[in-house]
Amino acid sequence: MADRSKDDISGLRSSAIVNGRLEIVLNNTLEAIEDGRCSMLDFLASQRLADAVRHRLEVIFEELVSNTIRHGFTRHSRQSIHVRIEPRPGLVEFTFEDDGAPFNPLDAQVPQRFSTIETARIGGLGIPLVTRLSAHLRYERLPQRADDADFAPCNRLVVGVAV
Amino acid sequence: MEMQHDNVGDVRRVVLVGRLDTKGVDLVETRFGAAIVPNGKDTIVDLTQVTFMASMGIRMLISTTRALSRKGAKLVLYGAGPGVRDVIETTALTEIIPLAGNESEALGLVAG
Repeated sequence: MADRSKDDISGLRSSAIVNGRLEIVLNNTLEAIEDGRCSMLDFLASQRLADAVRHRLEVIFEELVSNTIRHGFTRHSRQSIHVRIEPRPGLVEFTFEDDGAPFNPLDAQVPQRFSTIETARIGGLGIPLVTRLSAHLRYERLPQRADDADFAPCNRLVVGVAV
Repeated sequence: MEMQHDNVGDVRRVVLVGRLDTKGVDLVETRFGAAIVPNGKDTIVDLTQVTFMASMGIRMLISTTRALSRKGAKLVLYGAGPGVRDVIETTALTEIIPLAGNESEALGLVAG
């Protein structure tokens, strides 16, 4: 097991490879997007993924992490996102867990198709993009824990991306 | 994220270089709009060197194209690589902003 820990100021709180999957913990800062992305790409470098597939993985990672930090977390809190990235036959599977506000992306409104530039929706494009780029997406609202654990996740999202 | 702009005849040409992610859009969005909208010229945007685009990039392209269209001018994208093209096609952005394969095709679309 490879392991490293970083200062909380950076986006990446910790990173480890466990049983062939990458486990990273991201801090509540937008730096987490870039730091986590680099960690993910380092891990996936040996997978020989097509450029378009790697791009899809980066889009999904970026959209979900930025959405949680910008909309699910309290600013400057010590909330965190735990991400597992696991190569499987025919796909790469992400598991995102966070202790932010409950949010089920499957409840997000499906945007209407663009018809004119004047009426085109500008916000809320990220989650529909994730939905369309993923092979499967499952959300679970986790039960509240009674103990004082450092990390008590509320949301779990599993996203599969075909490779 | 870098950006250059010049003119090809009466058409504005903007070249974007880098990642249109959250950070990249933050860096370039104001300059991008300022290079395009006040001129009110038909515009082509070179995406050849854009290595990544997510929803923030789509949002930037829509808002700038909308502001330009209110001045009666068009914006056409061109040169997207496979990953960027995948996002553009998945969001059906081409319903409202044309995507050409190369610069000459893009110039043809703004003229048409």
